[in-house]
Amino acid sequence: MDISIIALATLATVLRILALIAVSIVLGWGLAYLSIKSRTFENAYIPLVNAFESIPVIGFLPIVLVAFISGVGGPLGVELAADFLVFDAVVWNIWIGIYQAFKTVPEPLLEVADNYKFGIWRRLKDLYIPHSLPRITSNLFSSFADGLFYISVSEIFTVGVKTYQTFGIGTTIAVFLQQGNLLGVYYSLAFVAAAVIIVTLTFSRLSKRAIAKYGLNTDLPIRRYHSTIRKYIYSTWRNMSRENIVSRFGSRFRNKKRVRYSEREQEPNYLGAVLKYSVYFLLAVIAVYLLFWVYATVTSVSGSEWSSFFSETPFLIYAMGVDYLRVAVIALASAFLAITLGYYLAVHKKASTMLTPIIQIIGAFPAPTYFPLIFIATLPFLASALPFEYTEVYIFILGFLSCFYYVLFDFWIGVQAIPSEFWEVMRNHELGFFTRMRYIILPAAFPYLITGLSSTINSAWAGIAIAEYWPNIYGTHSLIANIGMMKFISVNLAEGNIAAAAYISLIFAVVVIIYGLLFTRSLMDLARKKYVVEEGIYAG
Amino acid sequence: MDANPIPSTAIEKEDKKILQSIGLSYRFPNASKFTFTDINLKAYKDQLVAIVGPTGTGKSTLLRNLAYLIPPTSGTVLLEGKPVTKPSSRISLVHQSIATFPWMTALENVKLSLKGKMDNEQATKNAQKMLDLVGLRGVEDNYPKEMSGGMRQRVAIARSLVASPSVLLMDEPFVHLDELTATKLRDEIYKIVFNPRNTLKAAILVSHNLHEVVHLADYVYVMNGSPATVIDTFKIDLPRPRSERTSNFYDYIDRIMKGLDVTPQKA
Repeated sequence: MDISIIALATLATVLRILALIAVSIVLGWGLAYLSIKSRTFENAYIPLVNAFESIPVIGFLPIVLVAFISGVGGPLGVELAADFLVFDAVVWNIWIGIYQAFKTVPEPLLEVADNYKFGIWRRLKDLYIPHSLPRITSNLFSSFADGLFYISVSEIFTVGVKTYQTFGIGTTIAVFLQQGNLLGVYYSLAFVAAAVIIVTLTFSRLSKRAIAKYGLNTDLPIRRYHSTIRKYIYSTWRNMSRENIVSRFGSRFRNKKRVRYSEREQEPNYLGAVLKYSVYFLLAVIAVYLLFWVYATVTSVSGSEWSSFFSETPFLIYAMGVDYLRVAVIALASAFLAITLGYYLAVHKKASTMLTPIIQIIGAFPAPTYFPLIFIATLPFLASALPFEYTEVYIFILGFLSCFYYVLFDFWIGVQAIPSEFWEVMRNHELGFFTRMRYIILPAAFPYLITGLSSTINSAWAGIAIAEYWPNIYGTHSLIANIGMMKFISVNLAEGNIAAAAYISLIFAVVVIIYGLLFTRSLMDLARKKYVVEEGIYAG
Repeated sequence: MDANPIPSTAIEKEDKKILQSIGLSYRFPNASKFTFTDINLKAYKDQLVAIVGPTGTGKSTLLRNLAYLIPPTSGTVLLEGKPVTKPSSRISLVHQSIATFPWMTALENVKLSLKGKMDNEQATKNAQKMLDLVGLRGVEDNYPKEMSGGMRQRVAIARSLVASPSVLLMDEPFVHLDELTATKLRDEIYKIVFNPRNTLKAAILVSHNLHEVVHLADYVYVMNGSPATVIDTFKIDLPRPRSERTSNFYDYIDRIMKGLDVTPQKA
């Protein structure tokens, strides 16, 4: 066992995720800008992002296999497939966050940009991008956690008799597990833990700094650099963004020299059109490419096979019902933990200072990497105690570990956002815990709870997708569910039945999108209409 | 200046003392010095006491110390002679920023104070009675966003009163209302507060508006300095209902302003 290989593999995985996060951010700025400038684009973009966000990464696996493994092929195809899956894991909340930030730039700042006739480049550089930084940095943590979660799926996967793998810690751990090399697994987990801690702490600092500097009406102080090197980097960055109107809004009106400068230096408007049509062109190329491969896949399947797929649909729907039940149990358990622990953390500052980084690191630590160790340690006991149900217990454990922290953190933030006046009313009128919860805290945190539950449910799908079919989880042991739609997708992929896997994924995607539209969206609408805690304080 | 500012008269007997603070001092966590020190305040039965002072003297914090929503750093609060050691609905606070729960109707907002303390039917009756008292009959089923700022503040006052408090603390209750609404509510508040249909025995008001203070208060405590202390007290001896046209009205304003070390502006 070579430690340097483990270190390099960890570095490769982390850099892959960070690079794809960077790509997501840059693309997100362009797409969000198009959305606020074109209502037509916005009407297509937002529902699509919402729909794709609700489809677990595994649902995209058939597309990946068709488009990259068969289409591009070779090591590049495998690398692109892994990149696409990680991209899919990290991108959606970043894109939604940037879009929301662009949509909520304060009107006075937009008027300043209009007054000085800013072109697209200066609008992005000095207004929209700085305004989006607090949201982006606050989303980095969950994006990184999502990206890391899928390393066991994205870096190594088997189709038929062939295993495709690309270099990374996910592949390394999988190989160690297949070899029964526990020491290798432990070392790998230690490196992953170190990477998670470093990245989480860095993101946490970045987020605080972004909120302090670019957030509006924040109490956080802006921290300044002191060391020489950092001072140099900082001053260079400041010079680069000297005309930042978010942080220098007030000084604009006082500094005539800058006003003249800004009036003189106007960007030509055709840049906007270039960007707009470049993105349209890129999207069209991707769509044509995917459609071509979808067409090729559909036509490669015989009519009799298609009729066999259709005849199995009711059974697939039943299997999906079983999966929904699993997801519901996991979501309920997560919500219960969120409401109890989240409330405790919100009202006990000392405990929250101590526990927050620990929970963040547990959240970011990819459950599939350490889950086999839980499996090995508990299998003898669970298999004898619950001979028929132990698989379900493991599906629950991996599902829960994959997603519990989303709703926990969101609820916790929601409780913290309750105005101090509400807390005083609760204490003043000596309201008991359950009265507080039922009448004030749960309604006040409802929008956060729904957002968190939505993310939790999406990630629970990912967890059960891995847990329902995990051949050779350790040595010769496998974890395979009796029934489940996720299992059927994985089994068909493993057997090389890509068309069948794609068909099941399609049914799954359609149901998930309908569920999202009917359930999640209606709850979000209710939250936006009725449970707006900010409306509870009138300071006219 | 009087260390024990409220004179003992035949009317203001010790047994009528409702709320009292003895040597109350407060320092914010991690702050190097006290915000205020040695505040000795008394509110007698059927009296409205006002606290005035420049920004930063800790008037709002003092109110929260009196309600024990924020425990004082040192000193004691007595409610009808008994020490206050935790928040209680017997000392009820009305906030400066009008706080109503947007997902509850006016009636539900008021009933909130009674949850778990009586059955639902009785709570509804009591809440309706209080909404009547504050002039909100007929809008029980309206949500806060369907009401004006003045109506919302009435809901908040009704929520405080329905809990059967002995003392009502009001932290600049009219500051976020437009002048017409504030004037109307100011005119009614004394009648609402000291109406026999509620259990109140005394009220304490924090305000920057000296017209409001002279209009409503029986006694005025003036806070100033750093750390702040009570630097002066006034008894407002004007007949009720009061009017700004009364000759002595502006004399009181001038005297309080002098206490605050603020030069009065000539009309």
